[in-house]
Amino acid sequence: MKDNEQHDWHDTLIDRGLAELVGGEMPPDLTDRILAAAHSGQAEKVTLAEGTDVMITPIAHSNAKTWITIAVAISLCGVAVGLMLAEVRSARETALREVRSDRETALRTEPQAATQPNATSKGVYSIPGVVGNFVIDEREHIDTGEYFDDSYAGTPKSGLSGDKLQMMVEPHVIAEDYEGQAFSPLQTAPSSGKNPKLGFEFMPARPQARESGRMRDETLHAKERSLPSPYYSSDDVQYYAGSSVERLSEAPQVVRQRFRLGAGPRTEVDQYFEGAHLNRQIARQDVAGKTIVEFESLRSSREDLRELIERRRPQLGEQGTGPDSSGDQYTRINDNSFIKAEGGNAVSTFSIDVDTASYANVRQFLEQSRQLPPPDAVRIEELVNYFDYDYAGPIDETPFAAHMEIAACPWNAEHRLARIGIKGREIDRKVRPQSNLVFLIDVSGSMNEPNKLPLLVEGMKLLTRELGENDKVAIVVYASSEGLALESTRGDQQQTILAALMRLQAGGSTAGGAGIQLAYQTAQDNFIKGGVNRVILCTDGDFNVGVTGTPELERMAEEKAKESGVFLTVLGFGRGNLNDAMMEAISGKGNGNYHYVDNLTEARKLLVEQMVGTLVTIAKDVKIQVEFNPAQVAGYRLIGYENRMLRTEDFNDDKMDAGEIGAGHTVTALYEIVPVGKSVESGAVDPLKYQEEAKPQAGSDKLLTLKLRYKPPDGDTSTKLEFPVTDKGDSFTDATADFQFASAVASFGMLLRNSEYCGDATYDTVLETAGSASSRDHHGYRAEFMDLVRIAKQLQQ
Amino acid sequence: MSIVMSQPSIMQSPMMKLAPAQLAELVREHQADVWRYLRYLGATTADADDLTQETFLAVARAQFSEQSPQQTAAYLRTVARNQLLMARRRENHQISTVALAAAEQVWSTLVSETGSSVLLAALVDCLEKLEGRARAAIDGFYRDRRSREELAYDMNMKPDGVKTLLRRTREVLRNCIEKRM
Repeated sequence: MKDNEQHDWHDTLIDRGLAELVGGEMPPDLTDRILAAAHSGQAEKVTLAEGTDVMITPIAHSNAKTWITIAVAISLCGVAVGLMLAEVRSARETALREVRSDRETALRTEPQAATQPNATSKGVYSIPGVVGNFVIDEREHIDTGEYFDDSYAGTPKSGLSGDKLQMMVEPHVIAEDYEGQAFSPLQTAPSSGKNPKLGFEFMPARPQARESGRMRDETLHAKERSLPSPYYSSDDVQYYAGSSVERLSEAPQVVRQRFRLGAGPRTEVDQYFEGAHLNRQIARQDVAGKTIVEFESLRSSREDLRELIERRRPQLGEQGTGPDSSGDQYTRINDNSFIKAEGGNAVSTFSIDVDTASYANVRQFLEQSRQLPPPDAVRIEELVNYFDYDYAGPIDETPFAAHMEIAACPWNAEHRLARIGIKGREIDRKVRPQSNLVFLIDVSGSMNEPNKLPLLVEGMKLLTRELGENDKVAIVVYASSEGLALESTRGDQQQTILAALMRLQAGGSTAGGAGIQLAYQTAQDNFIKGGVNRVILCTDGDFNVGVTGTPELERMAEEKAKESGVFLTVLGFGRGNLNDAMMEAISGKGNGNYHYVDNLTEARKLLVEQMVGTLVTIAKDVKIQVEFNPAQVAGYRLIGYENRMLRTEDFNDDKMDAGEIGAGHTVTALYEIVPVGKSVESGAVDPLKYQEEAKPQAGSDKLLTLKLRYKPPDGDTSTKLEFPVTDKGDSFTDATADFQFASAVASFGMLLRNSEYCGDATYDTVLETAGSASSRDHHGYRAEFMDLVRIAKQLQQ
Repeated sequence: MSIVMSQPSIMQSPMMKLAPAQLAELVREHQADVWRYLRYLGATTADADDLTQETFLAVARAQFSEQSPQQTAAYLRTVARNQLLMARRRENHQISTVALAAAEQVWSTLVSETGSSVLLAALVDCLEKLEGRARAAIDGFYRDRRSREELAYDMNMKPDGVKTLLRRTREVLRNCIEKRM
């Protein structure tokens, strides 16, 4: 009997675990609710005395009385709301009448705007061409459903737990972009010659009482640091909520409100906001070609917003794309083509890449979104490098060992496939060097989704639990401004670090550039010579305030990496506004690696199982150069690595940045080789008139020579390794299981990319090859890969 | 019916109450596991929400101070269990305290001292190894919320067969978890 009961409870426990992990039944966040109840004195007394038969609870005794009180209170509230509704309705109708009237006037004066096909007449806040987050003014309650499309992703959160804020929503940050046709009248401004892009952000009034301790003015005090972001909630209150409390006590119609405007050329800013009730310009900055202006207004944000919108409504002719429909951003990838192994073209040079983001992103598309990924989301080298291969590690002081294998190409019987395998030296996690880590965490509004900030926090908690007394962790957060959420803290102070992570909440716009600056500064301040110094950036990459352009961010990451010697790990989260292009670019320039976290398993893989590899860099600026022997090779094609290609002369240039390799990492690159005597499908080039054709060296049986260059993590001078390789003529079935599996993954990538070079590859051949090459699959990653292939095959059909 | 409840050693002097900041910290750290525990004991999601709240409110009124995370977790489970018992009694529902004791024993065996995250992580790993009909049944039942009858139709089985398959799969997962932990 007892055994049966115990067995049942085991079953129930697993059942609950499955309901949570597979069914998504997550525990709710009841913090606000519990704290509010505690503050309002609803807590009941309990007795847990030994042997007590009945729990004594005052509430149980006074239940009837409580219910009567609640019923009376609800009745009174009902009456009051009923009386207020009529007044609110009347005010709303008046406002709408005014809007319609203004709109008709506008349409009369700007008839061309009325002919825009997507023009909308939804109401005051339904603004064609406007995207972003809207949060209404705190003093007036508005039924947002009536005014907002679903795409206007206002995400009001519950207000302060307490007694003053029942009608409040927060934060009142408004970030908007107007693009395309939206500013047609302004396009005539002589300054730009291209469509202007303009954004503005309402900033909270500065809370005088809290300013000394926490709240900061990001522009006026841009040099200051070590203060938490306003979105980083502490034990007492949320900072935005705090500021709103004070405004409630001010005069009802006069609110000091600050705006921050970011735009293209300065003239456009001035034209656009001409006549707005922006009473005083506070600051003006030109940052990377953009004008940032701060104003102070004595009118309510909503009033100003309404007026600006209505005044400019005729100019906003075309519907914009909202955050949900804006889509992820990927860099265009053009497959490497076949190159004839003649003259200087017989040399191929590229930087290694240990990123795995693309594989996890593809998995997210296939498993969760049930759709094929866009071709540009598929970086074949990242798919191949997601998996561990059984390469032997170095046996000497060299940081890595290189392996080459050549066999028949499975998708083209006439071609050969060469695999370069690199294995980084393993480091036992018990003896890994001291670590100085800075978690740079995006807590902006766009992160407020289950697969973003909550997943991020869980992932960082996993990593935190792996840390010890030799490690230091600081947490920098950024939303509308950046802040230090946790000073550098020893890794064995787990509760402090975990508590800081648990307090993170999302809201506001995204000043990612400012966050990067502060994170690097924090890492520098706590630099450990000879140790691991790394910034771990966790974001969806949707930067929209301050430095936002990919080239500027790349430059910033590159400069910071060179100045500070701090490495970078970028962890991407979420879907919908994932800026994959930017994150991949800055990780490359910032001596870093880039991974995408689509679930907690991936977080465990990166931050627990492969923690040492993710954190500890054993060699930097690792470049590969392959010189093909024209006597053996007619042509070749590097599979993947399209955005890692280098010029031949870059190989010996130590100033040229390249990829990093972590402890225990394996890196794999595949070349499809056209043997001599076979035709090479490459573009036709006229023969040179003024040079003699380079002649291949006779007598060499080598197929190619593999050269590698690398620098130690803290060095500036590279070391070269060189390995000549001969093709023994192995068939595909003679090849190792790892070779076969890597080729199957590459085939899968080509199929997903609809590559013209995929030859005879099909999803079935991929499955067959991967299945026979998956006997070594300790973590089940190869089995998961085959699941993905099956899903892709199904979706393709 | 008698309830045997040992006095937790972490109770402090009678006049001491939990400060708001401490309560907030306590809630953030433990609410998920309290909620999971209540769901495990059979509370509905709505009841689990309410009882989690009542558990922490009870602790806020008690003379509580944290001595170790393990003791705190055990104490919160005790309070939560009592809240569930009281709620059931108010509804005139019978609940077996023997069964609750067995439940607690299983929980404290499988769920590590630091919380259920280790168990869940192990479950994730074990789930990845599931293949074929077992995986299909788990996905269909938990993820797609399909009934046993619907799954039986899809999988060309009898509803009892699906029930057995699910139960056996959970047993496989349990064994896998125990090996990992």
